[in-house]
Amino acid sequence: MSESIAKQTSPHVQPPPGRRPPFLVRHAKWVFIGPAVIVMILIMIYPLGYTLWMGFHEWFASSVVPPKFVGLDNYVRIFTDDARFWDAFWRTVYFTVLAISIQTVLGVGIALIFNRNFLGKGLVRTLFLFPMVATPVAIALVWMMMYNPVLGVLRYFLDIVGLPPVEWVSNRLLVIPALVIVDTWQWTPLITLMTLAGLSALPVEPYEAAVIDGASGWQILRYVTLPLLRPVIVVAVLFRSIDAIKTFDIIYVMTQGGPAFASETLNIYIFQTGFNYFHLGYASSLLIVLFIIVMSVSVLLIRFRRVDW
Amino acid sequence: MNKARILLFALVALALLVAGCTAPAPAQPAAEQPAESEAAAAPEGYNCQAYAGTEVRFLANKHPWTTAIEEYIPQFEEETGIKVNLEILPEDQFRQKVLVELTTGAGTVDVFMSMPPQEGLKYHSAGWYEPLNDYLTNASITSPDYEPDDFLPGVMGAETIEGDVIGIPIMMENEVLYYRKDIFEEKGLTPPANMEELEQTAAELTDKENDFYGFVARGKGAAAVTQFSTFLYNFGGEWLDENRKPIINSPEAVEAFEFYGKMLRDYGPPGSTNNHWYEASGILAQGKAAMYTDANSLFSVVEDPESSKVVGKIGYAMMPEGPAGNHPYVSVWGISMASSSQNKEATWCLMQWLTSKDMVKNAQMKGIPGGRRSVWADPDGASAFPADWVETFVASNEIAYPYDRPPVVAVSEIRDVIGKVIVTAIEGGDVQAAADQAAQEMADIMARTE
Repeated sequence: MSESIAKQTSPHVQPPPGRRPPFLVRHAKWVFIGPAVIVMILIMIYPLGYTLWMGFHEWFASSVVPPKFVGLDNYVRIFTDDARFWDAFWRTVYFTVLAISIQTVLGVGIALIFNRNFLGKGLVRTLFLFPMVATPVAIALVWMMMYNPVLGVLRYFLDIVGLPPVEWVSNRLLVIPALVIVDTWQWTPLITLMTLAGLSALPVEPYEAAVIDGASGWQILRYVTLPLLRPVIVVAVLFRSIDAIKTFDIIYVMTQGGPAFASETLNIYIFQTGFNYFHLGYASSLLIVLFIIVMSVSVLLIRFRRVDW
Repeated sequence: MNKARILLFALVALALLVAGCTAPAPAQPAAEQPAESEAAAAPEGYNCQAYAGTEVRFLANKHPWTTAIEEYIPQFEEETGIKVNLEILPEDQFRQKVLVELTTGAGTVDVFMSMPPQEGLKYHSAGWYEPLNDYLTNASITSPDYEPDDFLPGVMGAETIEGDVIGIPIMMENEVLYYRKDIFEEKGLTPPANMEELEQTAAELTDKENDFYGFVARGKGAAAVTQFSTFLYNFGGEWLDENRKPIINSPEAVEAFEFYGKMLRDYGPPGSTNNHWYEASGILAQGKAAMYTDANSLFSVVEDPESSKVVGKIGYAMMPEGPAGNHPYVSVWGISMASSSQNKEATWCLMQWLTSKDMVKNAQMKGIPGGRRSVWADPDGASAFPADWVETFVASNEIAYPYDRPPVVAVSEIRDVIGKVIVTAIEGGDVQAAADQAAQEMADIMARTE
């Protein structure tokens, strides 16, 4: 591509014989991709490389001791001597799997409903997208107030129904499900939105064939719509999974990983290690591990998209 | 101000200076004679206008004190011609920013708010605090009516590390017992004097059916550690022994954890383990609790008619005594000078102005308790506080413990570890096992960071 551009541009600015063409023209292909490459290096490759480099150091930023090179020590510690990391890892898996399963089922279901015609469809569709647009921190604060077991509005409704107060985010067992509810409330619309786009692009022929063959509504959904939608759903799940693994804002605002680390996911743990405890080297090595996890999940899901069911 | 009065002030300041001076010995024998010549020079010597045009960068935490003094800054700029660049950030971001800028050592910060129990050891060992001893005793840059000895000794003590004065106190707080005067009167109760009475009173007043709780306090892990500290001391526990070995699993400490946990589990509101001070004080302010232990500085929250339903109904009492006596913590916020500052004299001008008698009084009249004796003695200075509040404040500071959290370098990390024991105690789990594990983790963290 850039090569051909270079070839095309040079005849127009043909220099007089005996003089070399101008620098920019001679290196046109580099000139054109240059800005993109520089931006990529500055905002992606350099920070990643620097994080990798810091991950090989012991660097406690609260003291004047300079960073010390420790090779793979940080990684050895992560995998052999850091129970808090593994707790956070499994918690992240739990949160992600729970959140994504619920959101996918709800999101696709709601998209199928929204794909039909009913009165006020446009309005309902627009309203449904609102949570996605709102600021996560604001949402988290509002949910925090609603969850408050003494003063919150959920307590009020439980009282009306005659149920005892629920501790929601103050209970070690309930805290992750409670956070999943918030995440689901906010992000189900994203899956709906993507599925709706997929639905509107589906071909008509398979449906006609299915109707002629006498398929029931359920059979059409199961054997025609969902398989056709699969690539779209997988992309939606991929986006949401990457986001869910890295969820930070709502957890940090609502619980800071508490009570007693019961909602501390990997991202929260890394944040605490880096910016609250100031172990910058160790936090960097944790980040590299998180990066590898996110990459692996993405690769797996993309593979899954290609395989037949 | 006439010449004679200035001279008098200068003499008094000099006398104080000599009396409290730990500085070079040669100055002392000749103190009588040079006093006059120096005193005469002092009015000329002390002159902050000499630094007009200098810029001083002040990093501040979004704290009631900052809000109270912010409006007076232009007055200082006008008086001295020194330009103040005040940057106010929410606490977490503030701490991060100060740390990052001090780490670079580039001299970008001149003065910053600092809380010695949180970061004092760390910053002092890193050499980031400019020791202020010489500034306080130098008549050429310290105003004669500044009177450093006017600060309560306990408060100044909390700002002193290994003999270095690392900051000037701007606000202090102690743990106290908030209680509902109206309910206590109605039931003929008196504020509990010791831990057994605290539990009995809480049991008597708890009415879970009607959503009313005898006792509320922080339970949110790390955030609860400071308010738990007085319980720990009163039961005879400590964070570290004299060899800096963690002893939070001692029998006394475990008893304190269990007591605190039981109080919140049996007589506290549901969901205590996620209660920071906003939630805990909110429960008191909404009229759903009878007693509350926390820093006395939060009285402004529960006495705020905008958000509180119990204005005027709250009484303030000393923390209940434990088997080991009564040791309410004192916690101090101060302002410190960065050792990397390029404008130290101008910075000191701002610092002493902010902590002068007038400014301490201004802030105190807005409800910010300061550390100056003379201001508490002044009826105007105490006017913003309920009478029983002032009484417990003064009495608490007579017997106060100098720190409200473990005196370690990696404070945040260790608070998280101890917070886990508090949560376990509230949940009614195995406190001894949790405390043993926490003591081990504390030792590991200290080995890595100190």
